[in-house]
Amino acid sequence: MKDMNQVSSSFRDPAGFVFVKDGTVYRQINKEYEHDYRKLMDSGLYEALTKKKWLVCHEEVDITRDELAYKIIRPQQIPFISYSYEWCFSQLKDAALLTLDIQELALRFGMSLKDSSSYNIQFLPKPIFIDTTSFEEYEEGSAWVGYRQFCRHFLAPLALMSRCNIYLNKMLTSYIDGIPLDLASSLLPARTKFNISLLSHIHLHAKSESFDGAQKPKKYKVSKLGLLGIIDNLRSCVKRMQLKKAHSSIWSDYYEKELNYSDEAFTAKKEIVAEMLKSISSQSVVDLGANRGIFSRVASEMGIFTISSDIDPIAVERNYLEAKAKKRDHLLPLVVDITNPSPGIGWENEERESFFTRAPETTALALALIHHLVIANNLPFGKVAAFFSRVCQHLIIEFVPKSDSQVERMLRHRKDIFGFYTADNFEADFAKEFTIKRTVPVEGSNRVIYLMERK
Amino acid sequence: MLAYIDPGSGSLLIQAIIALFFGAIFYLKASWRKFISLFSRKKDTSEDKSDG
Repeated sequence: MKDMNQVSSSFRDPAGFVFVKDGTVYRQINKEYEHDYRKLMDSGLYEALTKKKWLVCHEEVDITRDELAYKIIRPQQIPFISYSYEWCFSQLKDAALLTLDIQELALRFGMSLKDSSSYNIQFLPKPIFIDTTSFEEYEEGSAWVGYRQFCRHFLAPLALMSRCNIYLNKMLTSYIDGIPLDLASSLLPARTKFNISLLSHIHLHAKSESFDGAQKPKKYKVSKLGLLGIIDNLRSCVKRMQLKKAHSSIWSDYYEKELNYSDEAFTAKKEIVAEMLKSISSQSVVDLGANRGIFSRVASEMGIFTISSDIDPIAVERNYLEAKAKKRDHLLPLVVDITNPSPGIGWENEERESFFTRAPETTALALALIHHLVIANNLPFGKVAAFFSRVCQHLIIEFVPKSDSQVERMLRHRKDIFGFYTADNFEADFAKEFTIKRTVPVEGSNRVIYLMERK
Repeated sequence: MLAYIDPGSGSLLIQAIIALFFGAIFYLKASWRKFISLFSRKKDTSEDKSDG
């Protein structure tokens, strides 16, 4: 199959793999998985899961297949694949709860999850399970194979985020198969040993990993009631987890404190963005430095799929909770640091792609961002322009001049080495990569918004 | 059945142990809920009767 590109992350499970053909994602189900696939479809589990929107629905298609194939399915298409190290706390928490809910429901239908990787979950904006081949027939008395993976992928990072520091989920970029439990156990405060759930699932679990059962393979019996008990306890443990109150930030309060904008300027800015978006009829938008997603919502409310990214996990947390509550189907809040975006990780650095490899190359929104890149991060305009020309076709970018209170604040305690930071130089450097289509000053402020198109 | 990922022998051992404990708690919780719902159902029926 020449036109069939197997997705680089899809090689671990012999039950099948994911491939892309003509821009559509398909999943091959191998003959080896036929029995479990039939059980999933015929037991009523598939129907129950898709009815609840817990699992992507799919249809069987009749396209070219290799000799290993039993069926090819076309699953519901996901607009953007994100990873757990790009999720905010509540996204990881919701993904964990969904995994437990699915495992419990699967047991009721005589099946069980054979893995419980966080990579099996995506957001629309609520979490949804995407791996149709993760289910296997449950054998009475058998343990939950995915238990350790659940603890490494979900419980350990959640516990570290809530009990130590919100930024610790970034460790997941170093550990593709979840945070090792001995590492989590050594980082968590000693008092977590008095919490029966964390004691069992992390501290004792970590100790048990040094036990080597390889010399004499033994089958450990676990009753169904025991499995349900473990799931029930994991669920209540995850549900109880909360972020520390101290985890508020400058950015998440950015709008409340009204540092830079009058109401008039704020409304004007929304209108400018809406009008510019209408004029280019974009399929998708990547909002960089979105904060709580106020301007991302301008795009998503127009029915445009919008990735609303920000460096600040609390701002993204608020954005996600709002998107979930208001059922904003076209909005995907993510934690992304543009100056250090998620890299390619795993086998050959290709198993999980970097953020900008995955991001749609359509329209980028860069509002109130340029001064953070150029002044706070010492990037020359030329480098910023070259970057944007690689990641987007259209660019809606705001220029924040030196006279702006926010820029003044940034320069208060440092040497001003930014003599070149003027609107003229900004335009000249961006004009090398882009055609400047429109320039609109934001009323009630000294900022300007540009609409540009890649040359 | 053998898994395609390594469940970890230590992990299976701890799972077998904690399953006894959490299974028992789960059983007690479920029984308690059943017990409570028995009462509330009775209460509902009695209310229905009085309404009728």
